[in-house]
Amino acid sequence: MEAKYDFEKKFREQILQCSRCGFCQAVCPVYGATLRPGLNARGKMLLLKEVMDGNLPLDDQLTESLFQCTTCASCFENCPSGVQVPEIIKQVRKDMVNVGSCHPAFEGMHKVLQKHTNIYAEDEPEDFERERNQQAEYVYFIGCVGSYREDEATLEALELLDRLRVDYTLIDEVCCSGVLEDVGYEIIPNLARKNMDLIFHTGAKTVITGCPYCFRTFNNKPQYDEMKEKGVKVVHVTQFLQDFDFSVRTDKRVTYHDPCDLGRHSGIYEEPRNTIRKIAPNFVEMPDNREGALCCGAGGGVRGAFAKNSIAMARRRLAQAEEVGAEIVLTECNSCVHNLANAKLRKQKFKIYNTTQFINQLMEEAE
Amino acid sequence: MDEKLEQTIVDLVGKDNFTRNIIDLVSYSCDASEHSHRPLCAVFAETAELIADIMKLANREKIPVTPRGAGTGLSGMAVPIRGGIILDLSRMNKILKISIEDRLAVVQPGVIYATLEKALAPKGFFFPPDPASGKVSTLGGNVATNAGGLKGAKYGTTRDYVLGLQVVLPDGRIMRTGSKAMKSVSGYDLTRLFVGSEGTLGVVTEITFKINPKPTKTSTALATFNNLEDTGNTINQIMHSGIIPSALEILGRETLSAINQNTDLNLPEVDAMLLVETDGYTQEETAYQIEKVIRIFEANHPQEVKQATTDAEVTELWAARKSAYAVLSRIKTSSVLEDVTVPMTHIAELLKGIQDISEKHDIQIATFGHAGDGNLHPQILYDGYDPVEVEKKEKAIKDLFELAIALDGTLTGEHGIGLSKAPFMTLEHDPVAMDVMRTLKKTFDPNNILNPGKMALEG
Repeated sequence: MEAKYDFEKKFREQILQCSRCGFCQAVCPVYGATLRPGLNARGKMLLLKEVMDGNLPLDDQLTESLFQCTTCASCFENCPSGVQVPEIIKQVRKDMVNVGSCHPAFEGMHKVLQKHTNIYAEDEPEDFERERNQQAEYVYFIGCVGSYREDEATLEALELLDRLRVDYTLIDEVCCSGVLEDVGYEIIPNLARKNMDLIFHTGAKTVITGCPYCFRTFNNKPQYDEMKEKGVKVVHVTQFLQDFDFSVRTDKRVTYHDPCDLGRHSGIYEEPRNTIRKIAPNFVEMPDNREGALCCGAGGGVRGAFAKNSIAMARRRLAQAEEVGAEIVLTECNSCVHNLANAKLRKQKFKIYNTTQFINQLMEEAE
Repeated sequence: MDEKLEQTIVDLVGKDNFTRNIIDLVSYSCDASEHSHRPLCAVFAETAELIADIMKLANREKIPVTPRGAGTGLSGMAVPIRGGIILDLSRMNKILKISIEDRLAVVQPGVIYATLEKALAPKGFFFPPDPASGKVSTLGGNVATNAGGLKGAKYGTTRDYVLGLQVVLPDGRIMRTGSKAMKSVSGYDLTRLFVGSEGTLGVVTEITFKINPKPTKTSTALATFNNLEDTGNTINQIMHSGIIPSALEILGRETLSAINQNTDLNLPEVDAMLLVETDGYTQEETAYQIEKVIRIFEANHPQEVKQATTDAEVTELWAARKSAYAVLSRIKTSSVLEDVTVPMTHIAELLKGIQDISEKHDIQIATFGHAGDGNLHPQILYDGYDPVEVEKKEKAIKDLFELAIALDGTLTGEHGIGLSKAPFMTLEHDPVAMDVMRTLKKTFDPNNILNPGKMALEG
């Protein structure tokens, strides 16, 4: 049978490699929150096999499963058969968009980014009380969530950079639009162009991102290759901070949530821990950490499209923070902070911050 | 699906516990075997009483019901081959009681093996069978298949730990079997009848397990061989040397090579590797045992003998072993995993026989398994889209089962009959035994509504 869709052309062998052992079910955050095997990676691979075998059309009735994946890559990490589920899912979503079957939330996001400069269609960007587009050693790239939903966390991250006397500038940034690649569309070239022009204009040789997703997009997507060509390095703020010493510390019990984009997708596990241990000797790991970390439930467009399950996933993660008696949950991603904070129950007394925000608060208290 | 019937089921279980969504039906059409058939619908149930009502309805309407746990079974027993209702028990996932004093744990059937393991570990106890799928398989599924695992040779299988059950019968009556006492000979052993019955006699809704104190020390060693006869002799000698290893696993050439593709272990790609674990409560105790094993290794012309020294190495070796089935699926588009088991003295013949079958039918068969209890896992790798290969696979399976029976063995040591081995039941069981099994099925399930089409019970 001739391959009808791009996902078959690219991933047929991979999909057939799924042995249906179900090991992914043990780690899939969507399955964990719903207990529906049809939403787990194995369920998704079975649906795709049915499509390839001509037993099932690739249409709207599959969106609930194929678009409900945070692309956290736990399944891939634990798949003995080596099935690259997140890559397959991203490709299938593109095929589905091509045949006109897309989750409305993702279709909406795509439409928004064609008209607006950020995923929230906000017209008034927060100025964070700072000049923009200056000549500087570093560009601090905030990202949509940090700009429009977690602006307090961002302000504190910037204050920390000030305290550390970092020579940085903000730019009139627009959405990196990398998320579109995850939800069936493609990066919008104009947005990429604008970001790069603004970055180049500052003369900075390093971009520090507050968002692990923007970090991945800049480093891995060909639309941003020009940055590499021009010698502009992109680091996540957690990598940048690890070389600093902070004169502050807390006795509170602190834990760390690995964002999927920083951890499983980028292999950055130790940098944030090194920094946190400097300021929080009472550091404790959650039962699932590093490669095994549970997803906060926000990624892959799931927070927008399947809010209830997204929150349920975050609650499972927070239950682990509660289990280890954490007073402070630190992470390195505004999206994780946002989702975890939304999911926190009143009885859960811990606080959730980005590491930058927390260090800044400690430094402020010490002054 | 008939609308009136659908409404009746929805009224019974509630809208949120019912699905006819194609996404769900496709996932419920399969387990980890090669079989597949879609159900009409699926329901989630969280109480024995609700399951009883579902069974009454199904019995009245004569609709098949197939109970399902995690769907990790390897012989199709959770595949709803006659359609009907999938009864998903994964939401019955509570550990009801752990009593260290009484040495027992009471659980609902949807509890994952690893969840119980995690709950028992801090108390120094464990439920030993250790199925390779334990991270994901449910205890109800373990009971239904009488699951074995890596610890079988020393600790036995699920059956040896089930003290009692709560079961919903196909007619909707709820029954308790067994006792919470450590031993009981009170009446027929109904508990054992249900363990391994593959969901054909009743729906298990509560399990009382005996639990063991967990040995605190282990030692792991491995040896590689370039000769299956030496390997077989080694296994034999270990098992009658006076010690019983807590695990004695074999990994064949294809398996080693597939594991190497998936890990950085760089295992030697030889004819066979034996991986042994001994356990105890002091270092001396396990060291004494592992030294004995190593001496036997050395007397049987090994290529290499090695003792694992770091915890990381040990963890990685055992994780690699547990992933064997799934890593092998990388090689061809399809595979079937068998679990023939023979008395220990025949293990060398079985190993050799599997190799001969592979050559005879010109089909790739990878082997690994629980050598310590004579249970091998030949995994036949083939292209499921190629009719010639499919036919070769069928022939190889037939030869394999005939070989196992000829060696006084059994079709299945731990995966069950399900759909895959149903056609071979009469190879192992005489007509009287088949008749008794079928009569039992009719006694419990006269309308043949509970997991029909399995275990050759309709013959």
